Amino acid sequence: MLAKLHDISVNFGEVRALDNVSLDISPNQIHAIVGENGAGKSTLMSVLFGLNVNYSGQIFIDEINKNWSTPSDAIKAGIGMVHQHFMLIESMTVLENIILGSEPNKYLGFLDFQFAKKKLYDLLRTYNFSINLNQTVGELSVGQRQMVEILKTLYRSAALIILDEPTAVLTPAERADLFNSLQDFKNAGKSIILITHKIDEVMANADHVSVMRSGQLISSLPINSTSRGQISDEIVGASKTKSISRKKIKPGPVKLHLSDLDVLGMPQIGNAFNLEVKANEIVGIAGVAGNGQAELVEAIIGLRSSKSGLIEICGTNVTEVDISTRRDAGLCYIPEDRQKRGLALDAQLSENASISLLASKAFAKGPFLRKTKIKNFTEDLIKKFDVKASSSSALANSLSGGNKQKLIIARELSLESDVIIAENPTWGVDLGAINQIHYELLSMRENGHAILLVSSDLDEILTLSDRVLVMFESELSHSFRTEKVTREELGELMLMKASEKKKRKRQISHEAI
Amino acid sequence: MTALSLFLILLLLLNLADANFFEASQAFLKSAFGGRKYAYLYVTISRCALITGMAIAALIAFRAGLINIGGEGQLVIGGFIAAFISIYSGVTGVAGITLAILSAMIGGGLWAVLAGLMKLKLGVPILVGTLLLNYPARYITSYFVSHPLRDVSSGMPQTHLLDKSLWLPFVEGTRLDIGFMFILIVYAFVLVYSYRTVPGYHAKMTGLSIEFAATSGINIFNTTLKTLAFSGAIAGLVGAIAVLGIHHRFTDGMLVQPLYAWTGIVAALLINLVPWAILPAGFFFASLTSGASGMERTADVPKEIAIIIQGIIILFVAARATSIASGSKKKEEGS
Repeated sequence: MLAKLHDISVNFGEVRALDNVSLDISPNQIHAIVGENGAGKSTLMSVLFGLNVNYSGQIFIDEINKNWSTPSDAIKAGIGMVHQHFMLIESMTVLENIILGSEPNKYLGFLDFQFAKKKLYDLLRTYNFSINLNQTVGELSVGQRQMVEILKTLYRSAALIILDEPTAVLTPAERADLFNSLQDFKNAGKSIILITHKIDEVMANADHVSVMRSGQLISSLPINSTSRGQISDEIVGASKTKSISRKKIKPGPVKLHLSDLDVLGMPQIGNAFNLEVKANEIVGIAGVAGNGQAELVEAIIGLRSSKSGLIEICGTNVTEVDISTRRDAGLCYIPEDRQKRGLALDAQLSENASISLLASKAFAKGPFLRKTKIKNFTEDLIKKFDVKASSSSALANSLSGGNKQKLIIARELSLESDVIIAENPTWGVDLGAINQIHYELLSMRENGHAILLVSSDLDEILTLSDRVLVMFESELSHSFRTEKVTREELGELMLMKASEKKKRKRQISHEAI
Repeated sequence: MTALSLFLILLLLLNLADANFFEASQAFLKSAFGGRKYAYLYVTISRCALITGMAIAALIAFRAGLINIGGEGQLVIGGFIAAFISIYSGVTGVAGITLAILSAMIGGGLWAVLAGLMKLKLGVPILVGTLLLNYPARYITSYFVSHPLRDVSSGMPQTHLLDKSLWLPFVEGTRLDIGFMFILIVYAFVLVYSYRTVPGYHAKMTGLSIEFAATSGINIFNTTLKTLAFSGAIAGLVGAIAVLGIHHRFTDGMLVQPLYAWTGIVAALLINLVPWAILPAGFFFASLTSGASGMERTADVPKEIAIIIQGIIILFVAARATSIASGSKKKEEGS
């Protein structure tokens, strides 16, 4: 399918979200669209998919001018979209989810499951998918759910498939599987649009890459006439990156100490945790999500209790005390889930910024809030961390993802706590912000703070950490000095599980067929 | 636009009820704000005090994410305790009034805290706990005023009349008791509490995102219980005002039938839990009720018309709120 977007513009109130964007999507291609959060990628796709109908400009599908009024028009024309957040009903089976909305009917309106099954088995065979159609979606892994979403578009005979940040939630092995499938689709004559942040994926898999920035299309080139450097420059625009380098510092005294910590409710049965983080040191915990990192972090913060063992912050035993006492002892926390744990989205920036410091009485006089002080403090944070916000009284929800994360990091780092727990601090954040966040964490390290970095991004771990541990099936490996370990060695420790899981998955699908 | 369509619907309804618009609206205004020596206005103000009080009680809890719909139970407990203490403690005068009000507030507060403990210790949702506690409150008090504490000579399920020295005095030169002043004080207090104090801020954050509040070190256990106690205490105070200022005794069902608690909840939701707007909202609902009964008396328009109008207004406001919300949601998707 040849899709042409011509002079598309979209306004949200006074903000110009898309500014005369023209783009051609050719068949037999993986077309990557890259750009920072808020660059307009998703808006453009929502126009193409019929989710947003308030645009000016034209859409041509195979040279015919189309006007969608709902996504179902776009689906009928052969466009399929896999959203970043899956739209599946967990309690229904794979088959039921796939046919939902385009059910094959027999006489009297009965469902023709056999017809659907036959069509799906053909698709499974053609593209080498292994999935049990009768399993409920709730039992599937994230990667398998994504496969269901893709199958859904194929079942509706999509010739153009839009994938919005498809790899954000996948393990490395699942990621490889996905890209293999995408190559197969491409060879079968389909067009693929891949929206992503990750330049590595683009370089390795795409045929064509378009870069968007602030609502405009900056470039659209075949992959072999551009380069990594050029793409990242185009994404960020004027160079605003600070240089990232980890200076050699001798670590100071132990600030965070876990001994024989046995955390309640770990996902697998593992050993108790032993860990030390010293001042002037960043210790990284690498691992595929779901191996117990989240639970360990919760235990350290105080959101989860422990069966036995000891947590010490700056020499104080905090195993039994509540969160605010732990924070007082010198702990701060940059949570992975910034929408729920990091911010109250419907509260003002100043309310979000001052929450952690209220306990220290800096912003209160008796029971009363010191509003001016809070406002000044928030404005300082916004300025210092370059958070793009209209004012300190704007709602947190009005910020883009990267700016939300900057605000959280600004708040937590301003506490000057001895121990900093950073959990996937740059997840889903754009390049410019990643750079800045890394820079800030490294300068905290130089200023004598002890940082525990939990991340599923191996590059991030290797850039920032002095020592690395791998979390696998609720067990921590011993720690490696970053200079003395290779990516491959760490990758192997992390992926053991993924490969085992794949074996198991294959067995299941064999039994099913 | 909204106002115009509302007006058209009102005209249509009046037409259906076979009433003259001007006559009906005149009757409405007179019985809401007029009367001989403004007697009706005083009734409206005193009703406004009760509704606003219950609206504030709901608002405080809702803002903290605690869906306390048990205002009715807390109100009834408060009113009953006020009557019980007034009659049987033997303390009279200002001391007696103070004692009655404080005990009513403690009673209402504890009744709400009970639901909080059920939530925190047993996992019963606040919504369910508070709602179900309405029934024991109602029937326990009903039992007491029907049997052991009944004023048999009155022939009704109600307590004896309170000692005259315990009646809330009228504002000079009017027939309006000073109960509404208590509510004005509470209103001022709640404004300061919501916008300017640390506990109010903690409660708001807990309401907006409990996970965020907990992660940031706010003690959810304390915040929940304190907020519920505060909310219940205000409901208790409203009960005491109704007993000491208006009825001067506790009659079975007298705080339940006029739907003070439920109207309060509707008022709080209608203004989207914005604290300063709670007083106008309370006044609006009080005028609507007063005006409607007047319309029925003089213009022969069924009072149900006013109830329908009330419902339509709520629908309009709710629809507008939703469209605003979905509008901002669309904006987000654009990022």
